[in-house]
Order: sequence, then C-alpha cells, then structure tokens
Amino acid sequence: MSFDPKAFIAEQTEAIRKTVTGKAIIACSGGVDSTAAAVLASRALSDRLLAVYVDTGLMRKDETKDVERTLDELHVNHRILRAANEFFAALKGITDPEKKRMIIGGKFIWLFEREAETFGADHLVQGTIAPDWIESGGQLRDRIKTHHNVAGLPPDMKLKLVEPLRDLYKDEVRAVARTLGVRVAERQPFPGPGLAVRVIGEVTPDRVDLVREASAIVEHEIEAAGKAKQVPVPWQYFAVLLPVQTVGVHGDLRVYGHTIAVRAVDSIDGMTAVYSKIPHDVLDRIATRITNEVAGINRVVFDISSKPPATIEWE
Amino acid sequence: MRVYVVDNGGQWTHREWRVLKYLGVDAKIVPNDSPISDLKEVDGLVLSGGAPRVGIDPEKMGKNGDYIDGFEGPILGICAGHQFMASHLGGVAAPAKVPEFGKSILKVHQPDVLFEGLPDRFEVWESHNDEVTVLPPGFASLASSPNCNVQAMRHQDRPLFGLQFHPEVEHTQFGSDIFRNFLKVCENST
Repeated sequence: MSFDPKAFIAEQTEAIRKTVTGKAIIACSGGVDSTAAAVLASRALSDRLLAVYVDTGLMRKDETKDVERTLDELHVNHRILRAANEFFAALKGITDPEKKRMIIGGKFIWLFEREAETFGADHLVQGTIAPDWIESGGQLRDRIKTHHNVAGLPPDMKLKLVEPLRDLYKDEVRAVARTLGVRVAERQPFPGPGLAVRVIGEVTPDRVDLVREASAIVEHEIEAAGKAKQVPVPWQYFAVLLPVQTVGVHGDLRVYGHTIAVRAVDSIDGMTAVYSKIPHDVLDRIATRITNEVAGINRVVFDISSKPPATIEWE
Repeated sequence: MRVYVVDNGGQWTHREWRVLKYLGVDAKIVPNDSPISDLKEVDGLVLSGGAPRVGIDPEKMGKNGDYIDGFEGPILGICAGHQFMASHLGGVAAPAKVPEFGKSILKVHQPDVLFEGLPDRFEVWESHNDEVTVLPPGFASLASSPNCNVQAMRHQDRPLFGLQFHPEVEHTQFGSDIFRNFLKVCENST
C-alpha cells in the first residue's frame, strides 16, 4: 500500500465542505503546499474562498508574477497584497533567525486577519504539512525552527484553522498537486519567511537583492545541468548570503566583498537530506557567474553538510 | 493489524507512523502518557525517539515503563525508546562518547528476525547524543556501528527490540524491511 492522492482529495474536499459552512481565506505563497491546498479548498468552496498572496519583498525573482499566473490558471479567487515596505521596516536591525521568523509570521497573520474581516471569512486554510508542525515543536518535541504557519499564530486568533495537508510530506503533496493539475507540482520547496532566512544577519532590501540574484543563477545553472542530464535536479537548491566579508582582487584592485554559499540537497520528505554531488564544472559555472554578475560578491562556497546534523535552510 | 506509535517527542515519530501506514497497518500516534488500558487490541508498539536526553530522563518518558512491563505484544524501541527500554530493564543508557548524526554503517553481527533477508552491512541514519552502554539482563546485542556498540538489541525470550538508528527515515537503507520484519513478529504473536 502507498499513498492514494485521488482518495485523499475526495476525502479532504468533503471534509472542508463540512467544516467551512461560511467563507474562508487561504494563505497562499504560490508554492506546492499552499497551491495544492488552495485548489482543494477552492473545489470545496468555490467563490466562498479567497486566496491571499503577500508579496513580502522577500520572494524570488519574478515570483509574484508567476504566482499570479498560477492562481489565474487554476481559477482560484485571489488577491495579491504588496507589503514589502512593511516587512523590511519590521525586520530592521534584526539578526536572530527565530526573531525574524516570528516577526514575519506576525505580519502575515495580521494581514490575513485583516483580509478575512473584509471578505467575511471565519476560517483560515493553510497548506501546513507534517514537517512544519514537527519542527515547530511543542510539549515534548523540541523546536528546531519556528514555522510561522504553526508556531507564529497568536493564541487568541479568532479565525478557525483548516489544514488539509497536515499529515502529508512533500512527496505526497506533490502527488496531490499533480492529480489536481497544479503546474507548480514539481517546484522546489521555498521557506515561508522567504529570502529573509537566506540572508544571514540583517535583512535589508540591498542584501535581499544580492541573494535573489545569486539564487536565480544557482537555479538557472542547476536546472540547465539537469536538462542536459549532467546531474539529477536536486530536491532543493539555492544561495545563502553570509555575513562574512573577504578579500578579493578585481582587475588589479583590492576588493572586500560578500560571500555566497550554494546549498543543494537531495531528499524525499525534508526530514533527512544529503548534499547533492553537483559536478565541479557546474559549480564552476555558478561561481563564475555569481562573482561576475552580482556586484559585491567576490567569493562562493559550497555547503556539504547533511540533515541531520545541519538543516536544509541555514536559519 | 494495529500498531501504535508512542510519541516521545521525536522529530521522526510521524515518519514511523507513515512507514507503518504504507505497510498497510492500522497505525496511530498516541501520547506517551496514555494509560496502558488504551492499548487493548493493539498488536504491537513502537516507542519513538525523543528530544535530546529524553531517553535518560525518565520523567519525560511518561508511561513507557508501564508499556514495557505490561504490554504483552512485541515492542520496538527506537533511539530514546531503545535507550529507555535498556535503562528501565536494568541496563544503562548514558551520554555517548561519540554522538552520531547523519550517515553511519551498521554491522549486523547476530542474525535475528528483525534483520531477516538483509545484508550484514548497510547504511543507516543516526541522530543521538546518548546510547546504551550496558545491556539489560536477558538482552543480546545484534548490531553495531563504528562509534556505537549497541545499535540493535533484543530480549532472548520476550519480543522486545531496541534500535539506536532510525529505520523510519528515507535515507536508512532497508528501513521499511526492518519494520516489515517487526510486523511479522507482531503477526506471529497474536
């Protein structure tokens, strides 16, 4: 026996229909989990559902445009909020990774509550999956990191939670998404707090730009190598901006620039992971492009740790 | 077949549930302070791993001791569940000289139903600070890794098994075969 996405979809659509008799909003980042949950909920509730996507300013290159297209194609009733300034203002001066996660989570839920009130919703649907609540901890379980959709919710929240994917892992969610015809079914995971947890140290618009540009290069080169059958496309692959400056030489001039770490891992469920054995010539292309195209970066390193003992994201 | 997973707060408790579910078992996660009377008509128990030090901090292990003493079917202790089983039955679990995280190589040195059909060396995934340093009376060690002598143990008469590594995670080789073998023991003892 394994997982049966069709049976799961039928079961959960029915469950949502029973639970939500009024209106609901869904927090949708455009990733596999929340998009699959949005389509499930939309099947159950149609226009009694509003999907809310927040452009936090912490998204990847062209992500907002892409999410809008996805939700349009899937005919999910949705709203795009642009709140980058608010998020950057709240994150000013913050370097602690857990504080970042809590602040971002707090902003999200504040926006969702506001949208829910306007829309007249009394339920909040979320694409929470098993690793989110497992890693958020509680009672005996240690908190590895705060997933804001779980540990970032205020205790006095009025909205009632609906989490159809709670017991699933990413591989199972992908099966659900595929069955639902979701274009982003194979998309790599992206953390809820976005690029904020890939900028080690303070999160400023400039530093987010650096990691965004570097990440786009990592994604592009690894996907190209995947297409050329040079390497199987890893489970997740991205850039991290380190708070480390080092010396470099650019055209006979000393520079003192920033460092990018490249992370690529293979996993099935996100609960254990091994670093991907990316061929050296692919790493070489990534390093050359990042140091040449992203102004301010003069050094690139490759992360070779597994989970455990590391986690996939750095924060 | 019904198997309960006793939740000692591990990161991979829910993975144990998933592996059992995929093997067609009626599986359920229960808190570790559930009274033993809740375990009627259950064919086997898995005692999950837990947050650091939980295996040697009996306060956090709820009623695991009651289950080990009173549950009649097979029990598989994993990580903290394994360490607690050892200390509860008169062995010793203590901080490991070399904690293991991530990949390790298991060497099976005593054939057992749990490892039936498997090679005697394979890759397993670890995540522990503590380990079993002295086996409880009546137990035999079945397998080791370069940095840990008791990676697997079992009682000679009762169907009690302990594993230090994590058969429930994707990166452990033959993990679901180990669960399948445990289920065979559950089947035969009902």
